[in-house]
Amino acid sequence: MSTTANGALWRKNPILAWREIEGEIVIISPNNSVLHELNETASFVWKRLDGRRSGAEIATGLAAEYDVKPEDALGDIETLVEELASRQLLVPADNPSTERTE
Amino acid sequence: MSESHATRERSYVRQFELSIGRVPLRLHVSDDRLFSEASERYRAFASSQNEPFAIYLKNSFSANGGNPEFAYDFEAQQGALRAFAGESQFVGADNPYTLDCLLRILLTWMLLPRSGFFLHAATVIRDGRAYLFTGKSGAGKSTVASLAPEGSVLTDELSLVRREDGVWRAYGTPFWGEFRAGDSNTSAPIAGIFRLVQAENNRVAPLRSVELLRAMIGNVLFFSRQPADSQQLLNIVSRAAQELRGYTLEFRKDRTFWEVLPA
Repeated sequence: MSTTANGALWRKNPILAWREIEGEIVIISPNNSVLHELNETASFVWKRLDGRRSGAEIATGLAAEYDVKPEDALGDIETLVEELASRQLLVPADNPSTERTE
Repeated sequence: MSESHATRERSYVRQFELSIGRVPLRLHVSDDRLFSEASERYRAFASSQNEPFAIYLKNSFSANGGNPEFAYDFEAQQGALRAFAGESQFVGADNPYTLDCLLRILLTWMLLPRSGFFLHAATVIRDGRAYLFTGKSGAGKSTVASLAPEGSVLTDELSLVRREDGVWRAYGTPFWGEFRAGDSNTSAPIAGIFRLVQAENNRVAPLRSVELLRAMIGNVLFFSRQPADSQQLLNIVSRAAQELRGYTLEFRKDRTFWEVLPA
């Protein structure tokens, strides 16, 4: 379940509500009232998971923004994507046109 | 409910108007006993305002020229509602309890365009400002309300919060715990929102905006499953979390906790 290892692309689950508060992304699902909170770097990644950008592209931006090695950034992104997908916060980008813009 | 607000629309349908959180509503009721019970329950909230939102109590839904904008089936009480742009229909609301539940559910949706929401919280008025005490069942909402001076409690269970003219206000509602009717259709600007924690000693600690959001979001009453509605709700509650002051209140079950509340 990687954005990079098998080239899969992911996008935000369109049923979710989310917004940025104090520099961090908060997400709720209409199916329950559980609040998911992302830290600053995870929020950076979340905003770019649009079904079009690859993990490598996002990693390049993350590495530049936070002064980390691109390969480390990519590894962190893969872990994050796996976690978000397991919570159904991300879905495969089979229909990128439905991505909601910020 | 005064007679001026209760009139006969036709020979078999009676109607009365009320306002909850400054949301004008008009109930159309054909059952005489239910009309009488509802009139008594919402007596303090009777009001005549322009263009009230009509609610028709029916035996079955009728076609209304399109799909409802909001629909909810309240299976536990065998009640259901369908809301359209200009009116709503309630089915199964043949007793005051089901009517009350459907009213709450409808209002959660109607408050969205009015920058409002329902929060599981007791609201107490002190020096003209509203103090909201939120938490899950058993957190102490009713306890706080019972320890407040007589006449100062707007609700012990469900607070209506709205942003009007740049000011967040808490409104009295007829929705109290244990199905007791409220009797104060007033409002006050919100002084703060307090997350209740029962403890040995009284202590208050400020919350960051995201912490206040976390404290509120799990206690918001909401029923729509539409993503756009969820997004609107999150936007409203997030704005409240950023503009209001929030605290964790560790409190003892006596009146002394009032002494640590910020002015």
